[in-house]
Amino acid sequence: MRDILIFCALTVTVVLIAIWSLSAGAVSIPWYVIGNTLFDIEGPKQEFIVFHSRLPRTLLALLTGGALALSGVTVQALLRNPLASPKIIGINSGAALAVCLLVLVLPSAGLKWLPVAALSGGLLAAALVTGSADFGRFSSGRLALIGIAVGFLCDAGVDFILATSADAQFSAPLIWLTGSLWARGWTHVQLVWPWLVILASFVLVLSFRVDLIQFGDSTATSLGVAVRPLRLILMGLAAALAAISVSVVGVLGFVGLMAPHMARSIIGGTHSRIMPCAVLIGMGLVTLADATGRAIAPPIEVSAGIVTALFGAPFFVFIMIQSGKRSQV
Amino acid sequence: MNARHRLPFQAGAISVLAFGVCILSVYGSLMTGGRSDIRLSDLFAASTNGAVILDIRLPRTLVAACLGVNLGLSGLILQALTRNPLSSPSILGINQGAALGLTIGVIFPSVGALVGLMPLAAIGALVAGFMTFSIAGVFTGRIVSLRLILGGVAVGAFASAMVRFSFTLEDDLARQVLRWTLGNISDVRWHHVQSLFVWSLGGTVATLAMAHRLNLMALGEAQASGLGADPRLTLMIGALMSACLTGTAVFVAGPIAFAGLVVPHMCRFCLGPDHRILVPATALGGACLLMAADAASKWLTSPVELPVGVVVAMIGAPYFLYQTLFSKGAI
Repeated sequence: MRDILIFCALTVTVVLIAIWSLSAGAVSIPWYVIGNTLFDIEGPKQEFIVFHSRLPRTLLALLTGGALALSGVTVQALLRNPLASPKIIGINSGAALAVCLLVLVLPSAGLKWLPVAALSGGLLAAALVTGSADFGRFSSGRLALIGIAVGFLCDAGVDFILATSADAQFSAPLIWLTGSLWARGWTHVQLVWPWLVILASFVLVLSFRVDLIQFGDSTATSLGVAVRPLRLILMGLAAALAAISVSVVGVLGFVGLMAPHMARSIIGGTHSRIMPCAVLIGMGLVTLADATGRAIAPPIEVSAGIVTALFGAPFFVFIMIQSGKRSQV
Repeated sequence: MNARHRLPFQAGAISVLAFGVCILSVYGSLMTGGRSDIRLSDLFAASTNGAVILDIRLPRTLVAACLGVNLGLSGLILQALTRNPLSSPSILGINQGAALGLTIGVIFPSVGALVGLMPLAAIGALVAGFMTFSIAGVFTGRIVSLRLILGGVAVGAFASAMVRFSFTLEDDLARQVLRWTLGNISDVRWHHVQSLFVWSLGGTVATLAMAHRLNLMALGEAQASGLGADPRLTLMIGALMSACLTGTAVFVAGPIAFAGLVVPHMCRFCLGPDHRILVPATALGGACLLMAADAASKWLTSPVELPVGVVVAMIGAPYFLYQTLFSKGAI
């Protein structure tokens, strides 16, 4: 009963945030106008802004927020560490390096190829990290360290490219990577939603297995789980979810870190409950960040990635210090 | 590092090698240049080259050396305090914290004028280090090494996100900050040298005075306090010193990553775990690394100069990856 109430409350919150996200911005639209426009009711309407700008943005924020949160839950469960996040397995840095390489090697390739480059770079980095951690003695700490090292290596490459080439050429791709939903439209939504939904459903189906893998490798093996294939599959799914979201909206820091925490403290228990809860929270967080970025100082937009970092980081530090006092992870 | 650690080389061979490397890197940093190379023979021919050497090359070489000293010592102190070989200013987020402090000073000129940019960088470094330490449980006496690294990465991610945010405020500012965040020392002059040199010298002396305490920290906190060195005091002084060293380095050159990681490792590999030897060795090694990197930064893509931080990162990042892949450590 309590679970149902929590899920209802979360869903209502997400819907409210989404409505606010439709209304906030350079032109603020009252809620009844939004209702009129969406459901085609008689009365004042704002079709152009709602349908062409804000609705696809809001949908994209919901999709990527959910994907990042789910990816975060999976990575944290696999590493058995609440400080892990999709960033740890090198996705963000790999995507940035791939984008810079694309601009360097093929300057004529337009902005439309950036998502492809970011996706392949992120997946490649994640595969490299998972592969080299899986090669030899696996431990979650080793995986995290290799991921950090690969991330630093990619960052060094990005710095090298930035330093050796003309500045202006790279400013557009870099702004595009800082985690903003500015100028994203229906094409992006259509591009990502089928993949995100399919991958997310796979992860949700496997959520029972995630609980088992959390007990530790030997316990999971004795319970009949083929740990190594399962870990590779889950890592691949988590990497793909995060890389797809990075490829369309850039780096939205701390969502994959915060949402699982909040889900765990709100609902707790098994992953079949935590995962849907985290997805809802992630949706709410990213949509809220995007709307806040638009509402702070219109017509200037603060990108959503900055907002999530600004509010996420203090929260994160607080949670970490609290949890550090209670138990050592 | 265990007590049975054997020195791989003889002391005499090491000192000859160190001296050679030192001379070579000084020579490389002084002589290579964007416009024209200056040979050793030109150095003593007092002609127009004198101005080039005195006003442009020499301050730059000195700044590189001081940066190496600061970052190397800072890394050494952090590794001793946390008893973790992977600690370094960049991995614990301290570099990025200093960068954030400095960026705040640049964005709000009134704050920058009131406090001064260098203290702001040191304060930023201190705050970031404090946050990482409290996440890792350093103050409660139980350090969890993976928590330390992950917490540092998160703190660093936050600070660099904020620095990147400043890019979006104003184009002029963005160019200034971006150029500086890459770790650039191509336009330093004598007044930079003065302030940095004081800190490097003071830092080396102070760290040397602390070396025995750092050795005791390596035994564990219980043993350290049993032998009469309060670990909390060591922790406080060490953290403060590390933050000051990093802050001054970042103030002059921007966040240079990995120098603080690589140099103490190399020295420990060659000389063993005694901090009374490691402190001067790390200072010397850091100076050599940065001067060599400075020479490489002028030579690699001449006539365009690379920021020295990029060169160090290109050396340090693969080393870090190698270290994590093949270390037989506790993690």
